[in-house]
Amino acid sequence: MLITVAIVTAATGIGWIFKMSGFPETNIVIVYLLSILIIARFTRGYAYGIAASVIATIAFNYFFTKPYYTLSVNDPSYLITFMIMTVTAFITSALTSKVKQNALEAKEKEAESVALFHLTNKLTDAADIYDIAGITTDTISSIMNCRAGFLCFDESGQPEQSFIQQQSEGKQVWRKVDDTADLKHRIDGLRDAYDVGEEFYDWPVYGRETILGILRIPKETAVTMSEPLKRLLRSMIESTALAMDRFFSVQEQQKSREETVQERYRGNLLRAISHDLRTPLSGIMGTSEMLMDMTDKDDPRYVMVMDIHKDADWLHSLVENILSLTRLQDGRLTITKQPEAVEEVIGGAIGHITKRYPEYEITVKIPDEVLIVPMDAKLIEQVLVNLLDNAIKHTPSDREICITAMEDGNKAVFLIADRGCGIASSDLPNIFKMFYTTRSGRGDSQRGIGLGLTICEAIVKAHGGTIDGHNRIDGQGAEFIFTLPMEA
Amino acid sequence: MENRNEQILIVEDDQQIRNFIGYSLKQEGFGCTSAGTAQGALSILVSEQIDLMLLDLGLPDFDGMEVIKKIREWSEMPIIVVSARDQDKEKAAALDSGADDYLTKPFSATELLARIRVALRHLHRSSTTKQQTSLEVGKLMINLEKHAVYLNDDELHVTPMEYNLLSLFFRNIGKVLTTRYIIREIYGIAYGSDTQALRALMASLRRRIEKNPAKPRYILTEIGVGYRLSDE
Repeated sequence: MLITVAIVTAATGIGWIFKMSGFPETNIVIVYLLSILIIARFTRGYAYGIAASVIATIAFNYFFTKPYYTLSVNDPSYLITFMIMTVTAFITSALTSKVKQNALEAKEKEAESVALFHLTNKLTDAADIYDIAGITTDTISSIMNCRAGFLCFDESGQPEQSFIQQQSEGKQVWRKVDDTADLKHRIDGLRDAYDVGEEFYDWPVYGRETILGILRIPKETAVTMSEPLKRLLRSMIESTALAMDRFFSVQEQQKSREETVQERYRGNLLRAISHDLRTPLSGIMGTSEMLMDMTDKDDPRYVMVMDIHKDADWLHSLVENILSLTRLQDGRLTITKQPEAVEEVIGGAIGHITKRYPEYEITVKIPDEVLIVPMDAKLIEQVLVNLLDNAIKHTPSDREICITAMEDGNKAVFLIADRGCGIASSDLPNIFKMFYTTRSGRGDSQRGIGLGLTICEAIVKAHGGTIDGHNRIDGQGAEFIFTLPMEA
Repeated sequence: MENRNEQILIVEDDQQIRNFIGYSLKQEGFGCTSAGTAQGALSILVSEQIDLMLLDLGLPDFDGMEVIKKIREWSEMPIIVVSARDQDKEKAAALDSGADDYLTKPFSATELLARIRVALRHLHRSSTTKQQTSLEVGKLMINLEKHAVYLNDDELHVTPMEYNLLSLFFRNIGKVLTTRYIIREIYGIAYGSDTQALRALMASLRRRIEKNPAKPRYILTEIGVGYRLSDE
């Protein structure tokens, strides 16, 4: 205002000098227009420029047109001069203001870009998520001149217990969140907007897939924030989200690379175990078998050697079982299904079993029509061997053990039934659990660490089938049923 | 102790197993040489008369498959491959490269000797009875001239495909034939590796010759590898 008055007064003064010097009045008009231009340049908004235009016209009328020092005019042509002068002054002031406005916006944009550039620049050096949060807090605090905060969310999308807050330049503290559940509830459902809290306005920071955190601007700063500042804030949040996403994906890559390395170690270890344990066991078994052949059956040494052979055999099957199980439980065992004749697989399993227990007779019932089922024959053979082995362990050799295979709708059903001692009801829920062995009365006499059925379950499940074991309804004994889908 | 003249080469890198196999073979009267590496085995093969080779697939210096291929360039001697349980692919590949049989560790001496006897018999048979028109295993007999199959002296009706399959086994008594090999011989190379047709053909053949197809006496299944016509 003061500027306006001063400049118009100055213009009037110059006009007065011009008039004294006898210059034409047009020069005075030009001086007024110049004054308006200057006013528009140095004042804010249109208002002063427009006011100055009117005042300048009135001043010109009052001081420089006849009759002097009145607002009336003698020569009507001055009216046109007044009008043109006013309009020109209006336009000049409007244009100037506009230019000024543009310059201002450009300046703001530049400031935004610079701030964003600084932020992203710093974010690239961040070592972890909290580092990113800290840098964002620091940058935003210094731009907004406030004590901003940042609350990180964990991988499951839940807010953490405490957040970082800027205390002063270069100093940050961790503060506890009062009610994370409430905060989470309030943030849920927000996307671009922000949440108005008691102490902070909270802006959610969204990553590609999930929420990454909340940016907290103190209430007193947030309420006075201008639109461009809010825009800047949103851009900064966007940059932070990007940086966090990038960090997570790098972390992910790192993790998968580490997993590959571990996988290789694991594979090497398994190979080493399989080779280094199997080979000597083969030697022990072969040598003890030979010793048995060389020893008279009545010789007490025969029994000792036989025990060595049995133990070695047991150890060997344990090694094999552990190997199969580690491969299966990783879920990394790729089963290659091929159409296989059920009778062949059963025949293979019986072949193995009769080699081990020649005194047992196993009954087989298969359909007349050949039953071809997609499966990994080697693994299903293993299932059958384990189930038969289990049946034999619990059944005296003069009782029946029976395998039945049939087609039932879109699945093949295998049934292994025995007439042994059955399953104790306390064991029933646990039979497929790893390392579960029955505790009912047998003590140490029948060894086994209960991997057989666990392996069966893993193999059948990997085939997309089901397995179940229970006691027989038609008398003594246990039966195990497993199914395999008929479609590959 | 009977005395045989056959000389057997054991190629195995584990000392204990070499000792145990060597001892069992000597007990049975076989002559026996051993090597711990493929290189060693090859140098023995060129300097000595060997009738049969036991080859461990996990040798430190050379891939077992390479050794088999190399030997097959100049010798028809029976090769029995020894491997761990989870090496089915290697087993099948070894058989396809020309090995005659395989044993899975740990094996018993009885099993080993049985396989060796079968392989040697097979060697003698193929050299002396190539022109033989009639072959038999247990109660099962095939007449290659008449294209006829007999079970318990009764003629058995079989389809031409079943006959082809059975005659393939009779020409390789005791030997493990891989699924891939059988498919190639029966259906031709163009057939690829579709096992379903072979499984079905095998099932129908078994229903004719076996009492119980799930407990076969003649054609035994080697799960994951192939089939063998048992001659015991």
